Amino acid sequence: MIQFEQVSKIYPGGQKALTEVNFHLKQGEMAFLTGHSGAGKSTLLKLITVIERASAGRVVINGHDIAKIKAAHVPYLRRNIGMIFQNHHLLMDKSVFDNVALPLVIEGFSHGEIRKRVAGALDMVGLYGKERHSPVMLSGGEQQRVGIARAIVNKPPLLLADEPTGNLDPKLSMDILRLFETFNDAGTSVLIATHDLGLIARMKYRTLTLKQGRMLGAQELDSVHAALGGE
Amino acid sequence: MSRRAKLTHSKLPISGRILMFFIRHLQQAMASMGELWRTPVSSLMTMAVLGVSLSLPAALQVLVKNAETVTQSWNSAAEISLFVEDNRSEQSIQSLLARLRGNARIAEVKYISRAEALEEFQHLSGFGEALSYLDTNPLPSVVVVTPSGKYSTPARARELLAQLEREPEVSFGRLDIEWLERLQAMVRLLERTVLAIAALLVLAVVLVIGNTIRLAIMNRRTEIEVMKLVGATEAFIQRPFLYTGIWYGVIGGVLAWSIINLLVWYLDSALGELLGLYGSQLSMQSLSFAELLQLVLLASFLGWLGSYLSVRQHLRAIEPA
Repeated sequence: MIQFEQVSKIYPGGQKALTEVNFHLKQGEMAFLTGHSGAGKSTLLKLITVIERASAGRVVINGHDIAKIKAAHVPYLRRNIGMIFQNHHLLMDKSVFDNVALPLVIEGFSHGEIRKRVAGALDMVGLYGKERHSPVMLSGGEQQRVGIARAIVNKPPLLLADEPTGNLDPKLSMDILRLFETFNDAGTSVLIATHDLGLIARMKYRTLTLKQGRMLGAQELDSVHAALGGE
Repeated sequence: MSRRAKLTHSKLPISGRILMFFIRHLQQAMASMGELWRTPVSSLMTMAVLGVSLSLPAALQVLVKNAETVTQSWNSAAEISLFVEDNRSEQSIQSLLARLRGNARIAEVKYISRAEALEEFQHLSGFGEALSYLDTNPLPSVVVVTPSGKYSTPARARELLAQLEREPEVSFGRLDIEWLERLQAMVRLLERTVLAIAALLVLAVVLVIGNTIRLAIMNRRTEIEVMKLVGATEAFIQRPFLYTGIWYGVIGGVLAWSIINLLVWYLDSALGELLGLYGSQLSMQSLSFAELLQLVLLASFLGWLGSYLSVRQHLRAIEPA
């Protein structure tokens, strides 16, 4: 699903964000991406969503080599990726329904189909019946779940989440992660970037750790975990 | 390969895509209209600016159109008078007339015999009684030639005159075109002024719409970012803005048309009074329905162009970060 081969990213200012990163997220796999802020988590996610392009190396998403994709085709690639953000990126002047329906409207689904799928997605995140609400009226956890509903509404094969629990208390965070697990059970590949190590520890998934732009191997991980856990 | 090809279009079947394409356009056109409706004050301000900007070139167009109807009657004044030599027989004059009538460059030939010329002169000059004392008729016979459409311009008419003067029966010809040349020069100047002013105002319309759309884009920056993130194409994102531009143009055009009609109505009575003093029945012409359509079409094109230029420049710059 996601394959990085010797990927480096250097920003125009000369800032080195990623150095020779290798990893492979298989179809239907769920994994965490961790590291300190500034370790390159955001850059890695930006490379996957083609907001940025790699300076060197190969990024393959869903069978497409990113370097070979023209700018005009990027939107079609992004339709295969459901994205969830820490600040959820909701349109506050639109209703919950309009927010969740956006990917479907873009893809050109009929009105009836949109209605059905939005209702299904909201049901899945536990917000059934809140279509007409404005996101402003919802709590932080609910807003985050609207963002998740938007990400899954067109059933993408890949879900990316950037600090999805960053603003939530532990219980809500756990609920959100359980939600991701149900999508993963349905066959969706999931990559969650987070620095919430306590959360990761409670779940048995592969963890990819970035440190100063490098992906750490399994043998280095334990020591890092110990160090971070001690903070 | 098949996977790469998949990237270029959506998951819907082709028939559904075509249908949805039109439905989407209609929806977005209506949505853009609704967007304007939701901010009536600022929308109306912009439309008023466009209406006034467009009404000026349209008013000049009305002016030119009315000037043309007036000058059209004067264009036929490009007549060539050919004076026939005194000693020519009636027969040779008839053959001259036949040749002139056969000339493709000539639209109309009018023969004024010596007797008719004298009669006319007596009638017009007021020398009536005095002339009857003359022994012989001093006036030559005249052939008045009207050049056909293409040859009625001063330069062409002059050429024609030179050619006609070579006819053996003609002693000399005269073409009174100096005033016509001046008039035409003035009309040309007027037309050019109109064109220049119209071009400037059209540019102003494009810039006003471009700037309005730029502000609209800035206002919806986050929305555009989110749309790009969830896989909206540039075409999809820019469409509502293009429709907004078109709506601005359409309504501005209709507004300009209304302004012109008000203006003509306001001026017509005053003009009628003036023309009445000259015994003329001319009344001012306004813009016809076809011209209304042209105006609205042009305005909507300008609206599209203005927003397109703006969208090209500013939409690209907004990328999710």
